[in-house]
Amino acid sequence: MIGKRFRIAAVIGISLVFLLAWVFPIVWSVMNSLKTEQDVLAYPPKFLFAPTLAAYRDVLFGSGSILPNLLSSFIISIGTTIVTMIMAVPAAYALARLRVPGKRFAGFYVLATQMLPPVGIIIPYFLILRNIGWMDTYQGIILIYLSFSLPFAIWLLVSYFEDIPFEMEEAAYIDGASRWKTLWRIIIPQVRGGIAVTVVFVFLNAWNEFLFAVVLSGNTVRPVTIAMFNFVSVEQTLWTKLAAVSVLAMLPVIVLGIVAQKHIVKGLTVGAVKGGGRR
Amino acid sequence: MSMRGQVHFDRIVKMHGNFSALKGIDFTIQPGEFFALLGPSGSGKSTTLRILAGLDMPTSGTVVIDGKDVTALDAKDRVVAMVFQSYALYPHMTVFENIAFPLEMAKVGRAEIEPAVREAARKVKIDHLLDRKPGQLSGGQQQRCALARAIVRKARLFLLDEPLSNLDAKLRLETRIELKKLQRSLGVTAVYVTHDQEEAMTLADRMAVFMEGQIQQIGRPSEVFAKPNSVDVAAFIGSPPMNLIEGRYADGHVEIEGHRLRTSHQIAGSRNVIVGIRPGAMRLEAGGLPATVDLVEDLGDTAVLDLTLGGATLRARVSDGPVPKEGQAVSVTARPEDIHLFDAATRKRL
Repeated sequence: MIGKRFRIAAVIGISLVFLLAWVFPIVWSVMNSLKTEQDVLAYPPKFLFAPTLAAYRDVLFGSGSILPNLLSSFIISIGTTIVTMIMAVPAAYALARLRVPGKRFAGFYVLATQMLPPVGIIIPYFLILRNIGWMDTYQGIILIYLSFSLPFAIWLLVSYFEDIPFEMEEAAYIDGASRWKTLWRIIIPQVRGGIAVTVVFVFLNAWNEFLFAVVLSGNTVRPVTIAMFNFVSVEQTLWTKLAAVSVLAMLPVIVLGIVAQKHIVKGLTVGAVKGGGRR
Repeated sequence: MSMRGQVHFDRIVKMHGNFSALKGIDFTIQPGEFFALLGPSGSGKSTTLRILAGLDMPTSGTVVIDGKDVTALDAKDRVVAMVFQSYALYPHMTVFENIAFPLEMAKVGRAEIEPAVREAARKVKIDHLLDRKPGQLSGGQQQRCALARAIVRKARLFLLDEPLSNLDAKLRLETRIELKKLQRSLGVTAVYVTHDQEEAMTLADRMAVFMEGQIQQIGRPSEVFAKPNSVDVAAFIGSPPMNLIEGRYADGHVEIEGHRLRTSHQIAGSRNVIVGIRPGAMRLEAGGLPATVDLVEDLGDTAVLDLTLGGATLRARVSDGPVPKEGQAVSVTARPEDIHLFDAATRKRL
């Protein structure tokens, strides 16, 4: 009895430690974004202070407004997501279904691209974009993002397609549906959970990307992750502004997470349980 | 040939790599017939159905429906209906949408779809469930939904792939009867795949027995039961299966384990044979083969006896008279006309 209670207490205790470790940076960012510069640098740290929206006003409407950068991030992320999904859904379906030669190799290749360290390919990408004149352009950034979002999306989607029994499709053919009609009317509605999960992950990866953006973007295309970096300089770090932008950059992610939550949880568990032992 | 729903298979061969799933299938199904493809798993019966549906292509040979060569035609263009073993209902659609789907694909007008769907649902008694999703239906209701989806398009050919195997025993019997009535009332040709010989026996007008990619025998169920043309068919049809014992034929008699039984077969000379006797044809009478009762399965109205006869094991079903006890010595015999003879070498009926 005591042993059981102790175990429960221990589990709760450990969970709290992890939760704190996870939640602290977010809470700290939110707090810093509402402080004045003096309060941020105060030691010992101030937990009680007079909140101000000055930092938000500055980063949104001041001279170095980040609104264009947010727009930039949206264009890149939404563009990447749309193009990725248009290509990944049929590709994943094909990999899951069709008996095409080299299918196994293609499946491995798709996964192998995920294993490359991004730093290793950044210089080739830089050279490619410069040679085709796509440096600092949306199509350039989106093209580069596709190179890792597409394999990831395909890999994620394949297991959802594999979960749909063959007979389901055959029934549709018997009912007089073409392959495209079958995909559109029968298969895709059944993998919408997986599609929702994939959309969220692809969007988030593109939204949060920093390394490629910092090298391949410029003054025209400047996503918020890069703009944020401007508040850190050699002379000083503008902590309140940095925190305010961080919070603003987090918002779309949080909203998307809440909207897609139901699908994500369902999609993840379905993929995990049913698709687990296959292949 | 103006009648609808005639099927002809001409020398169909199907290879999976080096493995031949079908080794030259030839048969004709008449319009309006309830035709069963019966066989153990892996015998090629499902492959045959899939080739007929257009879901698989034969390696060689032709499939002819109503006089038209459809071998190269896609499933979607064949206008056949099919009920799958798993039912394959579309889980994201309601029952109504499921049944309406084939009509939509056939570009039937909206105004005609609704009454057709209701009519099909009424025929299989699920017209009160049209708003449900398949996940909210019982197994039996899902099965009916699959049937409704198959009959709604009024296809000339109705293909059924083990449609009853996922139902429990009682429901299976009920549905079996309804299925037969439905097929009669629609007047369609039904091709029915099953490994359950009892289902084939009760449902089919004619059946084809498949073994290892070949058709062993085609005929009315009663014919196949009465005159199986090979040892394999004899062993497959009937429950409990036919007793098959090695013996020797000579002069109107068979000799089994040193004892003689008279048979109505007349064959010239003497030869090694396999003697087949249905358990139900075995009689406990004096002057037959001496055997020992190993085990008694009492089924109430009948009893099945496991008997040892020298090195062989036999089964006998007795329905009248006293049931012997386990360990008891008995004498078993069969009427001369109930004795089947198969060639020991070719395993074909003599």
